[in-house]
This record gives sequence, C-alpha cells and structure tokens, in this order.
Amino acid sequence: MKIKQHFLLVAFTTLFMTACSTSVERLDSQETVDLSGAWNDTDSQLVAREMIEDSLSRAWISNFVKAEGKDPAVIVGKVRNLSHEHINTNTFIADMERELINSGEVQFVAASGARDEIRAERGDQDLNASEDTRKEMGQEYGADYMMQGQINTIIDVDGTTQVRFYQVNLELISIKDNRKVWVGQKKIKKLIKNSKLRE
Amino acid sequence: MKKIILASIFTLLTACAGHQRESNQLANLLHQQPPTQVLAQLQSTEPPERDYAQFHLNVGLLQLLSSDFPAAIASLTQAKKEMAALEAISITENAAAGTVNETLRSYSGYPTDRVMVHNILALSYLFNDDIDGARVEMLQADVSMKKLYSKGSYNGQLASTHLLSGIIYEMLDEQSNALISYKHSEEIIQKRKLSVPVSLQQALLRLSYRVDRNGQYVSYKQRYSGYPTPVSNNASQVFSLYFDSVVSNKIEKSILVPSGNGEQLIRISMPAYPNPKYRMARAKVTDASNQVSTELIENLEVAVREDLSKEYPSILLLTTTRAIAKYELVAQANEQDSLLGALVNLATALSEIADLRSWNMLPATIQFAYLETTDNEVTVDRVSAAQEKIALNIGSTNLLLISSLQTPVFHYQQ
Repeated sequence: MKIKQHFLLVAFTTLFMTACSTSVERLDSQETVDLSGAWNDTDSQLVAREMIEDSLSRAWISNFVKAEGKDPAVIVGKVRNLSHEHINTNTFIADMERELINSGEVQFVAASGARDEIRAERGDQDLNASEDTRKEMGQEYGADYMMQGQINTIIDVDGTTQVRFYQVNLELISIKDNRKVWVGQKKIKKLIKNSKLRE
Repeated sequence: MKKIILASIFTLLTACAGHQRESNQLANLLHQQPPTQVLAQLQSTEPPERDYAQFHLNVGLLQLLSSDFPAAIASLTQAKKEMAALEAISITENAAAGTVNETLRSYSGYPTDRVMVHNILALSYLFNDDIDGARVEMLQADVSMKKLYSKGSYNGQLASTHLLSGIIYEMLDEQSNALISYKHSEEIIQKRKLSVPVSLQQALLRLSYRVDRNGQYVSYKQRYSGYPTPVSNNASQVFSLYFDSVVSNKIEKSILVPSGNGEQLIRISMPAYPNPKYRMARAKVTDASNQVSTELIENLEVAVREDLSKEYPSILLLTTTRAIAKYELVAQANEQDSLLGALVNLATALSEIADLRSWNMLPATIQFAYLETTDNEVTVDRVSAAQEKIALNIGSTNLLLISSLQTPVFHYQQ
C-alpha cells in the first residue's frame, strides 16, 4: 500500500513538473506557424518577396536602364501601419530591403537613419583617420526611386469567428520628378475561429 | 482529513476575499494619495492568477497616471491578451463557480473594461509619442464595440472611445474618419438622452465643413446653430479630456437564513453597486481671452452598473444553483455525522462570497472640452490641484489629459 502511495506521489509530481516547465522548440525560420491569426513573420516575408518580385518584373526597370545606362538606385521609405494590429513595419522593411538587394537588379541606398550614422562616422574619419583611408564627404550615391507604402486591414467579426483582410500597398516614386513608376498590391485573407471553450 | 479539507477551503476563501478587499481599499485610497503611491502598494500585492486581468488593468491605468507610459502599454497589453484568452468559457471554472463561489472564475473583464482598455492604451501610446500605435488601439476598440453590440443595449458602446478616435483621426488629418467617429459619439450620447457637449457639436461642424460643406455641414448648422463658420486658421487646437474622481466599488449584499427544516444555515451573497454619491466636478482650460469647461461625455458610474445589471440573471441563476448544491452537500454530510454536517454547513456558508472584482480604478466620468487659441499658453484649472500652465507651439494640435487625482496634466503636442 505504501509503495503504491509513493509511486502515485512520484507520478503526480512528475506530471506536475512537466506541466509547469517551459518548453522550447527550435523552428526553421521559413516554417509557417500561425498562432493567433495576427500578422506574423511568414506574412512579412511572403508579401515582401512577392511584391519585390512583381516590382522587378515590370517595365520601369528596363526603361530606366535603357535611358540612363545603369541600374536604378532604390531606397525604402516609410511603410505606414494603418492596420488593426501593432505591426513592426521595420521587419517588413528589412524583408523588402533584403529582397531588393539580393535581386542584383537595383542599387540599394541606406535609409535616412542609417545615413545619419554613416555621416557621423565620415565626420569622425575626417578628423581622426589617416589621409589614405579617409572617406570624403559629398560622395554619396543618390537614390533614383523611393518605395513607400501602407498596410491596411478590414476585420469582420461575428462572435468567435473573424475574417481578417490585409492589403499591402507599395509605390515606387521617382525622386527626380515624383512620378509613380510602379504600384503594387498584395492581399491576404485569413479566417480565424476561436474556441468557445477553454480548460 | 476533514480538518485539512476545511483548512484548505478557509485559506482559499481568505485569499479570495482578501485580494478583493485590498483592491477596493487601494481604489478608495486614490482620493487621498497620488497614483504613484497607490501603484507601489498595488504592485506589492500578489493577486491570484485568476485576477491577473483585473490586476493588470489597474496597474496599467496607474502607470499611465504615473507618467510611465511604456510600462502602461506593457501592462494594459497584457490585460488585453488575458481578457481575450478568457472570452472562451471554462468548464472547470464554471463548475467551481457553481459549487463554491463566483470568485473562482477568472476575471475576464466587463464590456466597459474591454473597450476602455483600448482608450487607456491609446492615451499611453499617444503620450509615448506614438500616434500610429494609438490609432491601432482605436481600430481595435471599434472591433471590440462591434463584437459587444446588441440591439437596444449600450453595453460596451462608449461615446468616449468614438470621441478619442475622432481626435486621433483629426490629428492625423484623416478627416472623413474623424467625422464618422464624432458622429458615432454623438449618436451614443443622444441615445443615452444626454446633451451633446458643445465641443462635440463644434467638432461635427468643423469636420463636416471640411469634408462635405454643401451637404452634412448644412444639416449640422441647422441642428447646432450659433457657432461661427469653422474656417481654417493658424490657431492651435487644444483637445482636453478630463478624468473625474474614481468609479464606485462593488459591495456585497448577503442574507443568512435557516433552511425550511431549520437544520441548515443558507447564505446568499450577491454583488451590487451602492447608490452613487458621486458629484461631478469640471476642469477649465483658459487662454488669454476664452475659457472652456469640460462637459460629460461618458458616465462610467452608469456604464459599470449597466454591465452588472446585464450579468445579474446569470449571477442569480448560479447563486440559486449553488445554494441547492450546498444544501445537498450539507444534508449528505449530516447523514454521515452531525459534527461533519455542522462543519460543512459552516464552510459552505462562509464560502458564499460575492464577486466584487471590477476595474475599480477607472474614473467616474470622462469629460471633454475643445479650445482653439492663437496664444502660446493655456492654463488648466481643476478642483484638486493648483493651476497649471501648458505651453503651446503656434499652430500645433494638442491633447491634454487632466485628472482629478494628484497627477500633472499630460500633454501630447504635434
């Protein structure tokens, strides 16, 4: 009887400890995991890749190369979050930057925040670096186009069921004359059903 | 064994009742102590896990009023997540609530809490210099209100939320959205048979003039006459929200009666709100030539009572079910042993505790005033504090959050 009691105690304690312990599983960053139905890394990567692929397949790029005889230089500006969720647009911008740079079809210029830091470094080099390693001011590569956009959502709710519709709009605008040379749009629709019961 | 069970029940009950009492005492302390001090005391308490949502709501609000905006955002976001997770019905918690008492159910927030959390979060984002974050909260508030909407009921439909949405949209120059939000606010106020504040009338005129000068503006002009044409100028806009006093706590109403056969004592406990003693005070915002007083936009004293009234049928049903279950339990214990029966009767009677949890640190009312000024300074007067001067950049848009508690005036400017 005592052995049985001890066994039960050990079994119960083990079960209790297992239930309370934190579990961590490493996942592939490309793996799709939807927990809440909110905007996540998969959406960010998918939208960035598809939209940049679309933008690079359009006529503006060949027109520019033909006219200027060089690859266009692009900068990613602000992507406004007009959605129902607190979306970190910086990760989305970073995804787009990566897709643009890796395409090899455009030159890519650092965004304004990064430029300020680099300018400060050049200023510092001007004072402290040796003549042969010093980088001069006024040699920056000016961007030809800026990509801007916004993330919008429409949410339809009925009880525990939600339809979330995301629409990402991006535009490529010529810095020289404000012409819009490309407008892209990507839509994602999600049906989310929350359980009516919990433990 | 019996002693252990009874001791466990008593300990559990003391903890439940203890935290409810403590939370209500701290809410009352806000009338005497600054939010920073009450926050420190609240954070030193250890609420049971099922009260986390209520705890985080109160902590978040006090963090906002203590100027710790990032912490307020973190706490209120946590509360929002907890309330969302608790929307689903728990079988085990309902079983516990149906047999012991309602406090064994997790606090999932009343309709007013579920919408107000977005208001307080939006203000926290705004004072943390993140107007886009505030905008997100107002969109979420709109979804929450749609979810809570039922015909003929105002539960979870807050005029103050629509008003704050309107202000944020106006600050972002989204004029159509601002007009729609102001309209929703007006609609709720009218349905509640309250008078539409002058500042809201002006907002409707201002935005309809910008958006639809020959249509909606004309009809608003007929409805709200006597104001000058809202032409654009270089004046600064000052939107002022005033949080007055602290909303009432719930109280317990109990009766203890002998059973029909006189063998048992039956206790029934229900939560209730006391008769409101609140007297509305106003804040005043003044420039060199004009003075505006804040006007009622949201009476949370009424809203929380409506929330409880809506819950009453289910509370009554569960209380009756529980009384029957407890009666049967005592009767069975009595059959085994009369001493055990008496002990179980005592435990069942003492375990009958009303659920007094609520977001009890909310203001009693939310008021609003609007001022356009070409001055570079306005003064704020409120009953509880000395006059405070607020510097304005010429042509700026400003939101002031004024509280009757011992806090500074919070100022967002763009």
